[in-house]
Amino acid sequence: MSERIEVLQEIVERNQVWPVLAAKWGVENPVPPWKTSLDGLCDALDRAACDENIPDFKERRDEEDELSATVYPGLPYPENQLVALAHSLLARGVIDETELKQRLASIRERLEA
Amino acid sequence: MTDHDHDHDHERTVAPMVDEITDFEVLEIALRELCIEKGIFTAEEHRLMTEFAEQIGPTPAAHLVAKAWLDPEFKKLALAEPMTASKEVGVDWLHPTGWGTPSDFTAFQILADTPTVHNVIVCALCSCYPRPILGNSPEWYRTPNYRRRLVRWPRQVLAEFGLYLPDEITVHVQDSNQKHRFMVMPLQPEGTEDWTEEQLVEIITRDCLIGVALPKAGVTTNVITDTRPAIHPGAAG
Repeated sequence: MSERIEVLQEIVERNQVWPVLAAKWGVENPVPPWKTSLDGLCDALDRAACDENIPDFKERRDEEDELSATVYPGLPYPENQLVALAHSLLARGVIDETELKQRLASIRERLEA
Repeated sequence: MTDHDHDHDHERTVAPMVDEITDFEVLEIALRELCIEKGIFTAEEHRLMTEFAEQIGPTPAAHLVAKAWLDPEFKKLALAEPMTASKEVGVDWLHPTGWGTPSDFTAFQILADTPTVHNVIVCALCSCYPRPILGNSPEWYRTPNYRRRLVRWPRQVLAEFGLYLPDEITVHVQDSNQKHRFMVMPLQPEGTEDWTEEQLVEIITRDCLIGVALPKAGVTTNVITDTRPAIHPGAAG
C-alpha cells in the first residue's frame, strides 16, 4: 500500500494545490470546487455493494490517514484525501494505472475542448 | 474571471473564480468515471451524495414549485409574474436577504418543463444564479467544466449527473445573461398526486431546480450521511 505510484507522483510534483491556485486567482473559498464531488464519490463508494475489492468506510478512511501521513505528507487537505483515495483504488486493483493515465489525458482534453 | 461584457458590478456581486483546470480536478473526475463504468455506483447515486454533502435543505424555490404543482392558478402566477409569486414563499427580489443582493438582477423567470421540453440553467460566462430564492450556487456550477460544456454538450453533461433524457425530449439550456436570473420548474413526478406541500418540498431538491436532476418520490434532500471528522496530517503542507 505504501509504494509510490508514478502517475500520482507526477500530480504531486506539479503541485496545483488549492492554496496555490486560490492565491494565484485571488479567491477565498477554503476548499477547491471539486471537494463536494469528492465527498459524493467517497459516500457512493462506501455504499457500493459489489464484488470488487472496494475498501469499506473504515478501510478507506484508515488508508487515507496512513497514506496522507506517509506517502503524501506534503499535500494539503483535501488534495491528500483525493490522492490517497486514488492510491487505495490503484493498490487494491480496482483501477489500473494504465487506464487511469489514459483517462486523465482524455478528460483533460475534454475539459480543454 | 473570464472576460465578458456583463454590465453588473462583479466586485460586489460575484466572487472571483479559478479559471484553470487542475490535475486534482481531472483526477477526481477520472476516479468517478472509472468507478461508474465498472458498475461500482451510478452517476445518479454520485450526484445525490454530492448534493447531500452540500447540506442543502428545502429552499424557498422548492416551496414555490410545490405550490405551483398543487394550485394551477398559482402556477399561472409563477410563470407570468415570478417576482410576485416569490413573495408568497417569503422572497422579495427587490429587498432580498441572505445570499441575495439587490444588484443581482433586474429580471427573474421560471422555466416550466413540459412532457417534451426539459430546462437546465447555467451561466456560461461567470456564475450568475438565482441566489435570493435558491441559496448559494453549488461548487460544480461555478466550474469551467460545467459552464463551458453544458451549452455545447448538454446531454453529455446531464448524463454525468445521472440524468439520461430520451431523444424525444428537447433539452433547453438557459444561459443567464446580464441581469436575468432563471430557475427550473420540473414536472410533478408520478406517485405524488395526493401529497401535501410539505411532502413535496422534500423531493424538490436544489439540483431539480437547476435542471440537472428530476424529482422522484422517496428521494429527498434531507438524508444525513454517515461521516466522521477527517484527520488532516498534511494540513501544514
